[in-house]
Amino acid sequence: MGLINPAPVVGGNAEKAPCSSLERMVVAASRLLQNGQMVLVGTGLPLVGATLAKHVHAPKMTVVMEAVAFDSKPFALPFCVADARGVYRTPWMPTAVEVMGQFLQNRRIDVGFLGGAQVDKYGNLNSTCMGSYLHPEKRFEGSGGACDIAVLSGKTIIIMVHEKRRFVEQVDYITSPGWKCRDHRTGRLVDRRELGMWGGPSAVVSTMGVMKFDPESHEMYVDEYFADLGVTLGAMKENTGFDIRIDGARPAPPPKAEELEVLRTVVDPEGIFMKY
Amino acid sequence: MSDSKLMSAREAVNLIEDGCRLFTGGWTVVRKPMGLVYELIRQGKKNLSLISNPGGPEIDLLVGAGCVSLTESNYIGHEVFGHPYSFRRKVEEGPERTGYHHDDWTVQTGALRLLAGAMGLPFMPTLSLKGSDLINPDLDPMRELRGKDPRLPKQKVAFIKDPFWEGEEVTLVPALRPDVCLIHAQEVGEQGTVRLKGGAFLDYYAAMAAKLTIVSAERIVPEDSLRDLPQANTIPAQVVHAIVEMPYGAHPTAVWGFYDNDPWWFKDYLTASKEEEGFGAWLKEWVLDLQNHDEYLAKIGLKRLMSLRADPVLGYNPKIRRRLDKLQEVN
Repeated sequence: MGLINPAPVVGGNAEKAPCSSLERMVVAASRLLQNGQMVLVGTGLPLVGATLAKHVHAPKMTVVMEAVAFDSKPFALPFCVADARGVYRTPWMPTAVEVMGQFLQNRRIDVGFLGGAQVDKYGNLNSTCMGSYLHPEKRFEGSGGACDIAVLSGKTIIIMVHEKRRFVEQVDYITSPGWKCRDHRTGRLVDRRELGMWGGPSAVVSTMGVMKFDPESHEMYVDEYFADLGVTLGAMKENTGFDIRIDGARPAPPPKAEELEVLRTVVDPEGIFMKY
Repeated sequence: MSDSKLMSAREAVNLIEDGCRLFTGGWTVVRKPMGLVYELIRQGKKNLSLISNPGGPEIDLLVGAGCVSLTESNYIGHEVFGHPYSFRRKVEEGPERTGYHHDDWTVQTGALRLLAGAMGLPFMPTLSLKGSDLINPDLDPMRELRGKDPRLPKQKVAFIKDPFWEGEEVTLVPALRPDVCLIHAQEVGEQGTVRLKGGAFLDYYAAMAAKLTIVSAERIVPEDSLRDLPQANTIPAQVVHAIVEMPYGAHPTAVWGFYDNDPWWFKDYLTASKEEEGFGAWLKEWVLDLQNHDEYLAKIGLKRLMSLRADPVLGYNPKIRRRLDKLQEVN
């Protein structure tokens, strides 16, 4: 198996500790990434999930970060896309002109992997603000490359903690467009393909399960739930801010000991994102 | 008069006029021109229009210190360290009260806008932004300023039908034309050739787009030594106008091969900047009450500075702990 570089255990986490919901989410998300794919990874949880996939089952996946790191095999977890940890032994150092203006725009990125503050039932993502944009209740850091990645990747995978205030009927601001997004000419929400766009969100991985999008209506539904953590479909409905379909949902296969061990001892031993 | 570009930070920042369009290089918490930014604040610059792609603590500081009237950026923040409270506070208060306007862009369109500026083109086409509220005309935060403030393009974006191929609608984004570009580099030659390591980000394009480029550097080296390995150089001397020798000039952000992020700084700053009063006290203690960067470094202390030093092969410091709630004091 592809352990790229073993790192020392810093946190001293007991290997037998029960899987947390953050760990569960990252393990499930990492499984959606595959060998051979070129994956453009956003900062934060997507970096953790992609690094885990690279170590456990997808060593031949190409991990690309928007700032500089290309086909990176980090020895230690980069905590942002410009971190020297991601640059170490990268074979080539592009800028955003090449990564975002060429690789991404020229349709060479198979998967975009994103987080955010809010997601809605059409997979629109908000990482800009809560409340009205011009007079926000809470202002966040902003898109970064998320909007570009959501518009231009072959498909996107979204990772986000499952809370009612985050899973909403309609996001307060569409930073990164999903299936039904803003037509700038009319202000209405339309199918992204009517705007000449390709791609679109394929899955949302949360702390409760894995959601997908109906091929007809493009509305989010529960595909898998984390029964091994005690998550029920009722609880998922309760923690979702819109009426989400749960018929046909299956329990997700539980995490393997190897995935948890690599996550805890190699990928995020400090608990920077996993908060041990 | 010598034709040397070498000068002090005070002299270099003196070249920057109030109200200008200012680009800061680096990327969020990496290789930001912090020493020059501290000096901007000390000199009390006003009404700046900031461009960053993306911005980090330097933007939060300048906005909090009241030096800024406009920002155009895809992101302003400190990555996983914590939130940009000064920026957040000003945006939440609203431009009617603060006179400060922020416009949101993306990494790709920010890069293309700088590329257009670097090429002397008025705009660049992009396939990004579609479907997003970033191009929702009802949500243009600069709307009332467009056509009045010459630092801003007359409209945020425009659309054309591709006249050459499939005829699809393409979005046009306006060039960025910074008056001044601030870069912190690992090395700069005494004539101005810049060598960046561990990623140039958009710094080359910004230097090409700007009228005046000021480079601070960890060290100044003989120009001749940079000619030994020209492929490692990033920016030619001809577009660099001022050079400042400034070790730890990007502190608390990371400089590949020199030092890592200073988590203690971020812990201290984030705690203080949560409230406006705390931000003011922090700014006084760490910027306004100090004469220059040497005094700042002396105040940080040798022990802490040494503890940040990067492994020369890895480029970072593998011992640095980045989780602020579990930080221990340097000993």
